[in-house]
Amino acid sequence: MVKTAAKTDSKTKSKKTTARDTVASAAEVPKPGYHWMNRSNQWDTRVKPGKHGLRLGDLNVGIYGEIPEQWQDQTRNPRGAIPRKGVPPLGYSIRDKADVWADSAADLYEEAIQRKWAPATDVPWGTVKPLSEPLERAICQVLTELCQYANCDVETISQWQHQMSYGYHEVKQYLATASFDAARMHEAFRKRALCNGGGLGLEGPGEVNRMILESRGGWSEAVTYLMLMRGTFTMTLLRYLEKFAYNDAEQSIYANALQAKARQMTYALEHLQYSIAHDEERKAIMATLLFIGDRIWEREMADHVLREALCIVFAGGLEKAPDQGYAIYQKMQRDFMRDYVGTCEWLGIKRDPAMLPEAMADYLEAS
Amino acid sequence: MEPVLDMQLDWMDQQGSWGAAAEPSKQGLTLADIQVGAYGDVPEESDNMTGRPRGAGARPESYRIGGYSVRSKHEIWLENASFLYEEALQRQWSSATDVPWDSIEPLPDDIEQAECQLATFLTEVEFVAGDVPARWISQTTPDYFEPRNVLLAQVMDEARHMDVFRKRALANGGGLMGATGGTAGVVGSIDLARDFTEMSSRLHISGEGAVLTIFRMGELMAYNEAEKAMYRLCAQDEARHVAFGVMHMRYMSETAPERREEIDCYLDEAERQILAGSQNPAGAQAESSESLAILLGGGKDQYDEGVNKLIAIRRRQLQEYQKRVRSAGFGERFDNGRSPIKEMLAASAA
Ligand SMILES: [Fe+2]
Ligand SMILES: [Fe+2]
Repeated sequence: MVKTAAKTDSKTKSKKTTARDTVASAAEVPKPGYHWMNRSNQWDTRVKPGKHGLRLGDLNVGIYGEIPEQWQDQTRNPRGAIPRKGVPPLGYSIRDKADVWADSAADLYEEAIQRKWAPATDVPWGTVKPLSEPLERAICQVLTELCQYANCDVETISQWQHQMSYGYHEVKQYLATASFDAARMHEAFRKRALCNGGGLGLEGPGEVNRMILESRGGWSEAVTYLMLMRGTFTMTLLRYLEKFAYNDAEQSIYANALQAKARQMTYALEHLQYSIAHDEERKAIMATLLFIGDRIWEREMADHVLREALCIVFAGGLEKAPDQGYAIYQKMQRDFMRDYVGTCEWLGIKRDPAMLPEAMADYLEAS
Repeated sequence: MEPVLDMQLDWMDQQGSWGAAAEPSKQGLTLADIQVGAYGDVPEESDNMTGRPRGAGARPESYRIGGYSVRSKHEIWLENASFLYEEALQRQWSSATDVPWDSIEPLPDDIEQAECQLATFLTEVEFVAGDVPARWISQTTPDYFEPRNVLLAQVMDEARHMDVFRKRALANGGGLMGATGGTAGVVGSIDLARDFTEMSSRLHISGEGAVLTIFRMGELMAYNEAEKAMYRLCAQDEARHVAFGVMHMRYMSETAPERREEIDCYLDEAERQILAGSQNPAGAQAESSESLAILLGGGKDQYDEGVNKLIAIRRRQLQEYQKRVRSAGFGERFDNGRSPIKEMLAASAA
């Protein structure tokens, strides 16, 4: 006991000696030098609010709107400010505009903020009424897999954010809204699964999640898998779920999720287009990624769990799931393939049906 | 003949526990309300490496794609995550439309320069609190999605803070000024911490705590309704971020007492830096402290008056810091002489 006390005492003493400067600092304010005054790259800037307030994009005037192709600064120097010399770098790995940029990022950021959404209070939970057990099980299964999609959004976006340099802050800011959207989807899907006598389902196969999370070579590559492939499918799926919602609560959840996903798709397509326009080789890289991705996609879609659950949801129960439900499911897959391949072609990436996995090619042909 | 699907339905027997019937409370259907049955069980150690939602049925063949480094509950948990998250959702605001930008009128040059220098500093440092939590989110198992969601809301808040100060700098005939290097890749910085609690003690408790005090006293340095709104709204957000840190530290100290001594070391470090470091705008760094003194005093010619107010802010920062650390369960350090805060308070009162 005595030993411990002595130890603490000596420790405290040494802390006190080093703390002398710290203590003095509380009351000290040196005579002002004002060395920071009159230092600005561009003064006399007066951005006025417009009809929709003062938006992020409005600030891009004069040098503040000059977005360089490369951003070498590895500190948090705000774009347009005078950098301080000698600041140890933070190690941003994404420093090329072509690797992140989309002109719409600033607008998407403001739009996301305007569309406030709190699932706790904005979803009319009271409209959820008991459903037949197979139907509830199927809905819960779909929601579980959607939760995992949202989780994949969260983990992918947040893994990249801190690697993006400060010079492209509009994109960082938009992505902050995108991962926040994903958090709310994760939350809303879970809430719906747990509020009607059901529960969560079986976890998804995770092959596509793996593909997305492992695309760590570059952000554009991650966007290709996360947003172009998975995003297009999620949009299609949400549209169908919104149509086959069983109450206003589900309807409102899917509608809100669709809006968020639509913003994500806008960013993704514009970014990929920008990226390709600045580096033609990107197109070939994406074609390779998609060729590999298609095979993984087909394997995941061959999993019977999500398919059966969706057939039940679309048919309103077990009875008509194998025929009526399946017909709607197939139509959904055809819609997905039409949109997916259409988007690829819009980006200038030719998709030869002969090179597609068989099931995907069949859906495309029938679309 | 339309194809007919041969249904297996085996998955219906492999789902998570059944019969969850969460009911909305007064605040709607909150995260706290869905802690029903097995779904409210949060494991002390998470073996979930596939990213499945907590409570879902596991597939034995699933890939281990999570790669999570935060898998122990005490490393990230806090008791009121649900409340902080729901609060964040209810209090979302827009810097485009919730700040009355029209209320800004031209200001004397020294005041506008001080305002722009402070705004430059804040634009610079705000998103450290976005970048860093984001990185930790991606490393945290979804079994702890409640704290993760609070951090996701924080990343969102910080994006808005970064943008509201940039807006202010460019709205009134000024512009951005010189960056300060307030966040940098040096040992012991928020960015480089390799442990979540270490990072949180530095970011949430000392860093954002100091900024929160300043935002709360925003009325003293605001020259129009826009600036008042800006500080008030940011203070609301910061209060949640700080609360996360305090509540997490409390949970950590109660559930992992073997880490108390180590955490005390982080606090030693934080206290040495609280005024000397470059992340506290009221600290020693000339750019931000001089501009604050000008704003608080009402101009360069009333600098001394500004300094008195600045010292008052510092006192309040120290008092509030002490209160938070006590609330987190580390108050002993103020009573046993380990912390210099009491002496700092005495020195600043002299
Ligand atoms: Fe902030
Ligand atoms: Fe914050």
